[in-house]
Amino acid sequence: MKSCIYRAMGAILLTLSAFSVAAEGLMVTNPWVRSAPPNAPALGVFMMLKNHSDTDLSVVDVRTTLEVNRVEMHRTMMTDDVMMMMPQELIPVEAHSSTELKPGSWHIMLIEPKQVPKMGETVHLTLVLSNGFEQMVAAVVRQGEKMKMMEDHSHKMKMD
Amino acid sequence: MKHQSSARSFSFPLLLIASISLLAGCDQGFKIPETESAFVLPEAAVVEGFQLSHPTLGEFNLDSIKGKWSLFFFGYTRCPDVCPTELFMMSEMMKQIEKNPALEIQAPQVVFISLDPQRDTPEALQQYAGFYHPSFIGVTGVQSAVDQLSKSMGVYYERVYHLNGKILDPASQKDVPEGLEDSYLVNHSASIFLINPRGELQAIHRPPHQPDVIIRDITSIQNAWR
Repeated sequence: MKSCIYRAMGAILLTLSAFSVAAEGLMVTNPWVRSAPPNAPALGVFMMLKNHSDTDLSVVDVRTTLEVNRVEMHRTMMTDDVMMMMPQELIPVEAHSSTELKPGSWHIMLIEPKQVPKMGETVHLTLVLSNGFEQMVAAVVRQGEKMKMMEDHSHKMKMD
Repeated sequence: MKHQSSARSFSFPLLLIASISLLAGCDQGFKIPETESAFVLPEAAVVEGFQLSHPTLGEFNLDSIKGKWSLFFFGYTRCPDVCPTELFMMSEMMKQIEKNPALEIQAPQVVFISLDPQRDTPEALQQYAGFYHPSFIGVTGVQSAVDQLSKSMGVYYERVYHLNGKILDPASQKDVPEGLEDSYLVNHSASIFLINPRGELQAIHRPPHQPDVIIRDITSIQNAWR
């Protein structure tokens, strides 16, 4: 019975870790990779970044264990009906504020993956922060339609 | 090093056509329906002859789209954000249509047209488009054919190189360092174009897009068109 409870607790902790990771003031919730065609030359990664500290932070670099040509930080901006993609040198998260990486806005791009991960698979990333800390993130591959549902779920787990 | 000049023509020709038609009152039997977001052309615009290609259908031209409604979306497979978002949205639209046979809509043929034939082969493009829905068609052609079609429909796009966090001056794109020739992004229109069964541009769905709104707008346009 006890081992059963431990296993259950372990499973819950593991699940929580996929949605909410905090390190040195920055909390990452709901990280996900948008499912893409098997020959997709670029993959989008999204998440919510929350800064609970008194200091402005930013993500200055991103690494991944997935074999890719390079990783870039981007921001999509729309002028009239034209979507423009702007590579960014950092993603800012102001003190006591949040920045959402989402379709049509800030996002991380995994350029030219050797193999495109399938739905349900996990992509491991490391966010390099401006304060010198590094934060590991496990992002699950899923379709865009689940974004809203997962956001609602992560809000319920908010710890601030 | 290859560079492609942008096909900057926007929607001005179409707006001009629309304005003239409205002023002249040339309705010609098509009563412009009320729509939630689509811009409906009072007089459908002729899409100038184009010659694109598909890996199994072969030539993709005006004859390929006659007799059915089509939705054209322009992009490229290296598109980091907008194209996956729009293709997913249109796959959701198709699923809604398939799940609701009571809908009056005639399901449109979704056509994903690559503005970047230098990097997108027809085979890769079809595999990419077909991932979102098995009925989706991915086509492209030689750059001049792609330019002709995009200009004819008022689709804006431009290639952009980013170096050291800055956009390279388009005039000095010849200075793109060796090895980075293929690193460009393509800024492009995110509108979706509705083509009527005569192969004419009938309406423009400007972003943002919602599947249910597009379904209702297309249905209204189709009903008015009959």
